[in-house]
Amino acid sequence: MTQVFGTYAKTIRCFLRIRAIAIFTILLPIFLLLITSATFSKSVSASDLPLAKGVLTFAMVAFSVMMAGILNLAGSISRDRETGLLTKLKSMPIKPWRDFLGRLMGTTLLSLVAAVLIIAVGLAFGARFSGTITNDLEVIGFLLLAIISAAGIGLIIGSYTKLVMATFLTALAVSLVTAFISGIFIQYEVLPTFLQGFSRFYPISSATSSSVYLLLGQTAAGYDPITVVQVVATVLISVGLLAVGITIYSKQGWKRD
Amino acid sequence: MHSIYIKDLKKSYGNQKVLDGVDLVVEEGEFYALMGPNGSGKSTLSSIMASVTGFDSGTLEICGKKPEQARDVIAYIPQENFSVPQLSGRENLLYFARILGNRGANAKVLINRMLDKVGLTEDADKQFSRYSGGMKKRLELATALFPGVRVLILDEPTTGLDPAARRDFFALLTNIKHDQTSIFLITHLGTDAEAASRVGLIHKGKIVAEGTPAALRAQYAPEEAITIETPSLNSGCESILRGFSDGQKVARLQNGYRIYAHDGGHVLPEVVKALNQTGVTVNRTEVAKPTLEDVFFKLTEHPMQEAQVQ
Repeated sequence: MTQVFGTYAKTIRCFLRIRAIAIFTILLPIFLLLITSATFSKSVSASDLPLAKGVLTFAMVAFSVMMAGILNLAGSISRDRETGLLTKLKSMPIKPWRDFLGRLMGTTLLSLVAAVLIIAVGLAFGARFSGTITNDLEVIGFLLLAIISAAGIGLIIGSYTKLVMATFLTALAVSLVTAFISGIFIQYEVLPTFLQGFSRFYPISSATSSSVYLLLGQTAAGYDPITVVQVVATVLISVGLLAVGITIYSKQGWKRD
Repeated sequence: MHSIYIKDLKKSYGNQKVLDGVDLVVEEGEFYALMGPNGSGKSTLSSIMASVTGFDSGTLEICGKKPEQARDVIAYIPQENFSVPQLSGRENLLYFARILGNRGANAKVLINRMLDKVGLTEDADKQFSRYSGGMKKRLELATALFPGVRVLILDEPTTGLDPAARRDFFALLTNIKHDQTSIFLITHLGTDAEAASRVGLIHKGKIVAEGTPAALRAQYAPEEAITIETPSLNSGCESILRGFSDGQKVARLQNGYRIYAHDGGHVLPEVVKALNQTGVTVNRTEVAKPTLEDVFFKLTEHPMQEAQVQ
């Protein structure tokens, strides 16, 4: 546990000291939330506005999770490779999964803090949610599934891309493209049928839709994601992505030359 | 028990042989320097010992164990810095302490002692990225002070350091070394290798000579080294110098030549006269004891430095 906690503390300190991380994970989603909320204020009726802002708030929470898990986690791996830290770690008595667990804990904390801040800004600017405490706990569960999915993708990108700039661009492209084609940035109803299928099985979008469904209702989510099949699929794909990510990170990221 | 035991170690990248049957033994508490030019395989050997790189065949044991089972007794300091730039010196050491299983108040006491030992107490809370090159190396050397470290592997640790920082580094290295800790230093600088109790010379993936610095000089370069600085770097000049050098060996430097003669002080005026007669200008001359670079050159007829071409 000492090794995991050491890596966690290092990860958090780096997150706090690299300004780009705060910008991409917290400030950019909040900025986009404010801009899109202002845009919708003119095109949506006053009665629908709190609902629309609620949907936008969760879209930005999902985007923030992607920035923390895909961009920052992948970036931290290739940054450590570029600075020579990974080489040093390979010569030390630490197993890759312990290093990963510390990084995941840091990423999870960053994602949760960002989510709280984005939701607070959303509420301050008119978003309204309704749900029981059970619903809130379920939403936290779905948020955690989104975080581990994003971390799995981040691990895969960080393991294969060598340079920080290449990692950054790849992770940003993956995040933005999947956010658009999975219905995180676009309403589920307007997606083509094949992308609706992708939206239901891409765990970050299905977890986000589940949260929206629980706190804002089916109209806002676009479909019912809280079916047994759908929830089991979201859980299995999230865990599967994480497992694939850890395996690739252990084999590829820590591969001996 | 040997600290490092290597027998017939081989490593290739594709068709390129990097290590071609290396045999090497380092005893407990010994300071061993492995010296060779770029591309001789020395850095590959150090990364294999640190279990960062695998090998094709042969035997390698660190304190009687396979390298991947000996990670807790090795402190590997690669050529490039490895500390986290965003963390302070203290935070970096705390991170490495935790990776090695040290925790709580004990780790903090240990780190304070380490910082004191490497002279970084005052700068302990400064970010690593703001350290000078010498301070960075000293902090990373501190990772060799964690309890349990028995083998310290240093890969070209003085690269990028000025002569004063280099001297400080070796003084510190000698100061922190425990009797049981073995040091394995990789270098292409004879001045760095002189600090070791035993030196191995590696060429094309093989150890070509081993011994104390004095013994290597006595065996392979007993003459004096005459350095002639001249702007005329051409075959005519080399051919004149060859006539004066023992074994006709002429090392071409960036700004002149080096030849070898038993009575350097006597030979030098004749060399200068011969060069002047053919119109060659001599800017500066020097007669000195041969360095370990000279030993390497005389053994392999291959220049140690990239700037030194025959």
